[in-house]
Amino acid sequence: MLGKMERSDKVLKVGLIGNPNSGKSTVFNQLTGLRQKTGNFPGVTVEVKEGRFTLPKGQVVSLIDFPGAYSLYPTSTDEKVLVEVLTNTSDTNYPDLLVFVADVTHLEKHLLLFTQVLDLNIPTILALNMSDVAEEEGIKVNPSRLSAQLQAPVVFISGRTGENLPQLIQSIEQLSESKERWKSSFYKMNNDEQRISEAVCQNFACTNPYRALLLAHHKDWLRFLSPAEHATLDTIVHTKQFQSLLQQVDETMVRYDQFTPIVRDTVQQPSVFPVTTTDRIDAILTHRIAGPFIFLGVMLLVFMVIFYGYEITGGWVESTMAWLIEGAEYVLQPISSGWVVDFVTKGVLEGFKGVLVFVPQIALLSLLIALLEEVGYLARAVFMFDKLMRRFGMNGRSIVALISGGACAVPAIKGTRTIGNWKERLITILVTPFISCSARIPVYMVLIPVALPNANWWVWAQVFGAMYLLGVVAALGSGWLLNKLMKTREATFLALEMPVYRVPHWKNVWLTVVDKVSNFVSGVWKPILVITSALWFLSSFGPGDVTEKAALSAAKDIEAGLTSDSLRSDLEASYRLEYSWAGKLGKTIEPVIQPLGYDWKIGIGILSSFLAREVFNSTMYIIYSLESVGAEEEEAAGDQSPFERYSSLKDKMALDTHRDSREKIYTPATGLSLLVFYALAMQCMSTLVVVKNETGRWRWAVLQFLFMGVLAYALSWITFVLVNFIG
Amino acid sequence: MQRRHRTLPELKASESAQAISFTDPSLACKLTAMGVLPGAVIEMVRKSPFGDAFYIKVDGIRLALRNEEAQSILLTD
Repeated sequence: MLGKMERSDKVLKVGLIGNPNSGKSTVFNQLTGLRQKTGNFPGVTVEVKEGRFTLPKGQVVSLIDFPGAYSLYPTSTDEKVLVEVLTNTSDTNYPDLLVFVADVTHLEKHLLLFTQVLDLNIPTILALNMSDVAEEEGIKVNPSRLSAQLQAPVVFISGRTGENLPQLIQSIEQLSESKERWKSSFYKMNNDEQRISEAVCQNFACTNPYRALLLAHHKDWLRFLSPAEHATLDTIVHTKQFQSLLQQVDETMVRYDQFTPIVRDTVQQPSVFPVTTTDRIDAILTHRIAGPFIFLGVMLLVFMVIFYGYEITGGWVESTMAWLIEGAEYVLQPISSGWVVDFVTKGVLEGFKGVLVFVPQIALLSLLIALLEEVGYLARAVFMFDKLMRRFGMNGRSIVALISGGACAVPAIKGTRTIGNWKERLITILVTPFISCSARIPVYMVLIPVALPNANWWVWAQVFGAMYLLGVVAALGSGWLLNKLMKTREATFLALEMPVYRVPHWKNVWLTVVDKVSNFVSGVWKPILVITSALWFLSSFGPGDVTEKAALSAAKDIEAGLTSDSLRSDLEASYRLEYSWAGKLGKTIEPVIQPLGYDWKIGIGILSSFLAREVFNSTMYIIYSLESVGAEEEEAAGDQSPFERYSSLKDKMALDTHRDSREKIYTPATGLSLLVFYALAMQCMSTLVVVKNETGRWRWAVLQFLFMGVLAYALSWITFVLVNFIG
Repeated sequence: MQRRHRTLPELKASESAQAISFTDPSLACKLTAMGVLPGAVIEMVRKSPFGDAFYIKVDGIRLALRNEEAQSILLTD
């Protein structure tokens, strides 16, 4: 959180602003490197990055990277943040000075916001970025002339090559030390605007006439205004009959008229825009027919990389965990009781694993998405799929989240921050977990052959595909439904700039990956630790002495000759789980899940899956007294073809019968019903925590949990009844 | 009598025309800030695969606009 960041009078607050695609984040990364952290602006889910660096004479600078904006008349939450800070001089993020990054190859498009900021009387440096590209394209700039005409220091830099960054730093130092009072005004208000500005100034502590005008323009959404202030502004705007929107357009046009001649005078550009490589690439990549197929191909590639990455890194996680558990046992066993060891190895470390398994996936996915973004391809995907996604209550930007959800919903949901419209973003967040993620794969691999034991490999593969299709249909269907249910007044825009294709800047990509991973870990580890500890408690303790009862039951079974003595510890583990609170709970919910064809064992499996869906398998190994076999089989899973894995577990499950009726538990009806349940239910605590973090409230996470649960229950029931009916 | 002006969606692929004005002030605000100004020459590059969105070029800037956004831009003949 930015609000909590340490602040002292000695730190110089510098705001970094500019249009989207100005190369602002590259400049930010160049200046601060790894000394940066991400937080949210207080009260909104707009990301803000703060980084530190030191000026030559020792002054520490806190650089705040504001979201890209086109003007001080914002249309998205991202852009509003900038206005909210700049119009409120007592805001904690209010900058001492500003660095404005502008793309020199399209300077006249970037000067609008720059001249607006000038009028706010904040010392501002104009950093003309992309000097390297300008040289290639034969663009010549006269910085000193530009500086004289705009009355602001101008530095010609390249964020990519780092050219002239020392000069920028020097310029920041000079401006911060300058004793001269910064004075700049660019725009001359018309009569209407002047009247409003003066009226506002009479009622408020007036820091600047343009800021006063902005208060009148934005009174309806600026959150720092008190109700009384809001009412005063309302009265002023009303009595003076101020036409805010028309004035905004007017002001914009007048500004353009003012600075376009300045740009003409100081920047020499080629007068025609030749057909560039970008145009040639786009003729293929955004082609009406080929474009979407190429996109699907690219996404398939991304998906495959994540999928194989999961296979490989899953092994690393397993071996790291085995090593950690061994280490913990070695250290703890001599000094503490069995319960402590058990809690650390099966509670705390299990929670640690729950976080760790996601790290490689998040790193890989954010790497690939950052690459596509850096290159400029994502904007094209948004353009191509906007129409399609809008039918389902989302927008073009949602396609990336939904497809990333095929790997893991956690990074996918974090990626929805680029969606400006709150309703569209919320719908995207709520439906993404329906897409079958990689954690569901091991569960499908066990359940499909158990449900359809007589079918062949080909049928299994088709059922596997059908599970994915079910997820997609559920996601789009609920998007459509939520779109009908939710009302919003917030306007939705596409209006999106498609940047020139560029080779990715590796430092940006690398810092994005580091940022996403550390952000995820710091956001989820606490709630996950709490939930795993609770689940550990539930499955380790029960009414009475669970261990003793389990040992007795196991001994009885062995005496009766039901199993051999060599399986004693596995059998005890199985009985311990049955007698624990979790087992009790599984049995308590049995009547609820019975209509779906499930017994109490599946109940425990579903409950424990809340850790992460793949935990279903390891719970089943314990229940079927296969604990010692389980670890070996899970380890060997990587070397076998998918449907051959976990063979002893599948054999046991296939043979299991209901206690009273002696009928098989895993009929095709039960198996398919359980598959549907796993495809649709929200059984992932990490996702829930991330949904809470991203939406700012538990409310949405809880609603999502209930909605997905009810849908999963209903469709599983229908599946069970239908399959039984067909026979 | 006022003649009806063409709007941006009526342009064929790779056809260009000059923008005159906007029909919607809030969209005008957004579009002018992004560099679509009255007097600018707009080139229709292509339509989106599922329709309803347009890929245009203005002064060397590439933009994607939705149908309602494009419709708010009036053009010369």
